[in-house]
Amino acid sequence: MKRQNRLTSETQNQEQRSGHHTEQKPATEFVSVEEMLRHDRLHTPVPPSIEQRLRQSTEAAAPRAGASWWRRIFGGSER
Amino acid sequence: MSEPPTTGRSGDERQPGWAIPEFAAIYEEHSRAIYYLALRFLSDPHKAEDATHDVFLKAFRKMDQFRGEASWRTWLYRITINHCRNLQQAWHERHMLTSADEGIWDHTPASTDSPLRVLETKELGQRIQKTLDSLTEEYRLLLLLVADEELSYEEVASLTNQTADAVRGKLHRARKAFALLFQKSA
Repeated sequence: MKRQNRLTSETQNQEQRSGHHTEQKPATEFVSVEEMLRHDRLHTPVPPSIEQRLRQSTEAAAPRAGASWWRRIFGGSER
Repeated sequence: MSEPPTTGRSGDERQPGWAIPEFAAIYEEHSRAIYYLALRFLSDPHKAEDATHDVFLKAFRKMDQFRGEASWRTWLYRITINHCRNLQQAWHERHMLTSADEGIWDHTPASTDSPLRVLETKELGQRIQKTLDSLTEEYRLLLLLVADEELSYEEVASLTNQTADAVRGKLHRARKAFALLFQKSA
């Protein structure tokens, strides 16, 4: 992922000229909407509670032993 | 037929309670993508959490219908899109622009070449959500799907019931609309 900090550099140059030293927050740039969304997705955690609920739900909905479709998909590795 | 994904974790490390260990691997590989699509589509973390659970449970129950003609990701996305559309149909759609309003982006000056810049990464998600909420459902969905590098234009076209050429054409306008609205959201 290509990210740049152009604003940070520009701000630092301005600080040097003016003699001020204030803390600046770095700017993050994205070259496309898609890149921004991928970054956002990467930093959006999945709530652990979903997995906990799903484990319980699938336990109740698990196929019967010997269900042929499950064997067809996963090659016979039923529980 | 697509093979179930591997997780890189041994069965001993996996939390107990999964009825079918192979399904745990599918969840682990695709849950982030599904949750993110649901979150940005529904604009509500609680609804997205429920939707993600329901989508995977639906997939688990309907897995006998999976023919391997599509990838797991595409199949799960299709279930997610249908599920989210059903959820938001009653309350979300009436707040969206109509398709007739989409033409306004063609006459609105906004550069898609300029980088999108944010100062506060912690606010990025909020600004993205605000921007996506202002788009039509079609544009929002196109951008979210195309951002997934695992999907081809043909798969995005299939998921959105149109041709790949139509996706490419609309994508240009969707990017432009997003860029304009994102800049305004600062």
